[in-house]
Amino acid sequence: MAALAFPRHIRTPPKPSSFSNKPKAKARTRISVRSSLAPPQLGFSDPFVLELAEALEDSLPSPSSPKLSPLQRIRDASSETLLSTPWPSRKDEPFRFTDTSFIKNSTIYPVSRPPPQSLEAPPASCEETQLPQLAIVDGYIVDFGSNLSGLPDGVYVGSLSNATSESLVERIGEFVSGFDWGDLFWSINGVGAPDLAVIYVPAGCRVENPVHLRYYSAEASDEGSNRLPLSNPRVFVLVEKGGEVDIVEEFMGGDGNRCYWANPVLEVVLGEGGKIRHSYVQNQSPCAAHIKWTSVQQEAESTYQLVEVSSGGKLSRHNLHVQQLGPDTVTELSTLHLAFNEQTQDLHSRLVLDYPRGSSRQLHKCIVANSQGQAVFDGNVKVNRYAQQTDAGQLTRSLLLEPRATVNVKPNLQIIADDVKCSHGAAISDLEESQLFYFQARGIDPKTARKALVFSFGAEVVSQLPNSFVQKKVENQIRELLVPR
Amino acid sequence: MASAPPSLSTARPPTAASPHGDRRRGALPPLPSCGARPPSRGGLRALRSVPLRRCAVRAALSTADRSAAPVESGGGKELLLEVRDLTAVIAETGQEILKGVDLTIYEGEVHAIMGKNGSGKSTFAKVLVGHPDYEVTGGSMMFKGENLLEMEPEDRSLAGLFMSFQSPIEIPGVSNADFLNMAYNARRRKLNQPELSPIEFWAYVYPKLDLLNMKADFLNRNVNEGFSGGERKRNEILQLAVLGAELAILDEIDSGLDVDALRDVAKAVNGLLTPKNSVLMITHYLRLLEFIEPRYIHVMENGKIVKTGDISIAKTLEKEGFKGVSEM
Repeated sequence: MAALAFPRHIRTPPKPSSFSNKPKAKARTRISVRSSLAPPQLGFSDPFVLELAEALEDSLPSPSSPKLSPLQRIRDASSETLLSTPWPSRKDEPFRFTDTSFIKNSTIYPVSRPPPQSLEAPPASCEETQLPQLAIVDGYIVDFGSNLSGLPDGVYVGSLSNATSESLVERIGEFVSGFDWGDLFWSINGVGAPDLAVIYVPAGCRVENPVHLRYYSAEASDEGSNRLPLSNPRVFVLVEKGGEVDIVEEFMGGDGNRCYWANPVLEVVLGEGGKIRHSYVQNQSPCAAHIKWTSVQQEAESTYQLVEVSSGGKLSRHNLHVQQLGPDTVTELSTLHLAFNEQTQDLHSRLVLDYPRGSSRQLHKCIVANSQGQAVFDGNVKVNRYAQQTDAGQLTRSLLLEPRATVNVKPNLQIIADDVKCSHGAAISDLEESQLFYFQARGIDPKTARKALVFSFGAEVVSQLPNSFVQKKVENQIRELLVPR
Repeated sequence: MASAPPSLSTARPPTAASPHGDRRRGALPPLPSCGARPPSRGGLRALRSVPLRRCAVRAALSTADRSAAPVESGGGKELLLEVRDLTAVIAETGQEILKGVDLTIYEGEVHAIMGKNGSGKSTFAKVLVGHPDYEVTGGSMMFKGENLLEMEPEDRSLAGLFMSFQSPIEIPGVSNADFLNMAYNARRRKLNQPELSPIEFWAYVYPKLDLLNMKADFLNRNVNEGFSGGERKRNEILQLAVLGAELAILDEIDSGLDVDALRDVAKAVNGLLTPKNSVLMITHYLRLLEFIEPRYIHVMENGKIVKTGDISIAKTLEKEGFKGVSEM
């Protein structure tokens, strides 16, 4: 560590403060890397990480209004964590199969300030434009005519900075920065998120139309330039007791092969008896990096349903953490990962159950159709001591369609309670020969048969998307992928 | 096989000396055109002009010879399937299952194969349609003059060979409607006819459901997913009714069906029989043969067809078992 030198930075004599807690004068007071390695720190600081954190901090405006205090608290907590979090290596268990060198070896820089005003709204179907939606471009919330007026009273969808209600801001403030399970990327988002989008559903309120979050990456570099602009969209969802809402997150790819790193975070707090149906569609550019965190806290008797279809990105990783905060919860997770190009699709999920009678079902399907493609799955379910009468099931099925296509699956259940019903299963295969033959025996040629069978493999997850326009969109995306190039 | 039209006098073709002599219906040899023509891809199109060719051959027969032909064969019937000395093994283990099967089926005929478990009946059917588990090691199989051994399974199906499987497998995720639509359109493409859209296809398929006493929601369900054995068999016959075939091989269509279901299935199969197409049934019991009456019954034993006769074989089998049949 001591041998590392950063000639670009100007070192000032060591100061007692750590680099982020005091409001800094932006006139470059950089703190020596080495001096921040004060002995009380247990971990060691990774200079690469610290440099990135500083760059992110610099790219953001200093907090002006007190309204942003939840956001400021997030930033503070995250930068504290970053002091001792190194960039993950293949020796760390959570990243054993996921190679992040693609990101680390590129020149990472935060996106420049808000996207230009001249940005046009990307095309959307007419059904979509009628739904309440929020466009998030490079982490900044942009108003493209979001049609938020049709929402019921008390529901708020928008940026935290535009929230008029003090009590809302306070309420949100109660929940932020309470997450202990995050990793480096969670903290990077915490430090670099320019704004916090909020979806608030008051008690007992049922939102009829799904809230559509559309994420775009406007700033991007060209393929081969080895530069990655980093954006950190951050969304906080709070559904009070008995509230119900559908959320659709759609990560668009845009045209051509543009490179960027999207590092979004979605935090969900689901009150007692609440219900959320979360659809997450990721179709980013084939040379982009996409690392997403979804953290869900479920109070008693609440229902959280996730349907995910990820097909884009050169490195795409979804970290999902569901924490049970009360008994009788229902958690349904269905994910479909498609690796048709030279890409890695990764799902690391964790479900922590501490209360009785929780019920959960997890279905993960992945299709790898490229010899350089890779899928990774780590599905962790912790059934702790007081989670008696839990009913937890997990099933992962992978389809490997090309020689040397790889899939690494690690289903794992950690069960401490003794009166539970838990199961997990994993299957990895090519298409079944007997099924292919059945098609052939009816006059259908093998290519068409393969396409039909691959499509139907994914259909089990796609059919669970609760909103039909999203389902149709995803089906078309998959059909396009199946057409041989 | 002679390449020149053999003499149509009483001289019998060389193969008549085989132990399967009973099976040959009189002295009339197979139509020389079908037997002698070398296998070719253009075979199918050439067969479209069958009537002309057959007339030409018939004209070649002298009236004296025609009178010598037995009443049954009716002269001029097209040969659908000709299997000669077929031997096959299980691809993985090399174990020989078929040890020289001979069978000839003309159009408009109903044949049945009976035999002990393990005698090779289902294997024979699977080898005919090209199942990858088996490998042909010798002999020939000609369907409408084309060499089946050179055809992929989907081409054999498009040529008009249909097999109803003994245990149809499930295809979760693919609906019956989509599956049938794909198969039907494959056939339409082959015949250079325009494909049907899902709605047009629905209109075409719907009346066929009635034929088999099946409910309309059946089409929305996935292929054989959650179907009982009887429903799967009905599904196979529905596919036969929708796709049509010139030779339909029904592998134990009666197993798992109750009496009513069997009646429906038999009615449907009988309804599909025309002078132009044939059926080959594989079964254990007399019951099915009372519904779909076969012209010829073959007994298969140890990978070979050892006996051919009519319905009396089945009756003896029912009463006395295979021992009784071998003494017939």
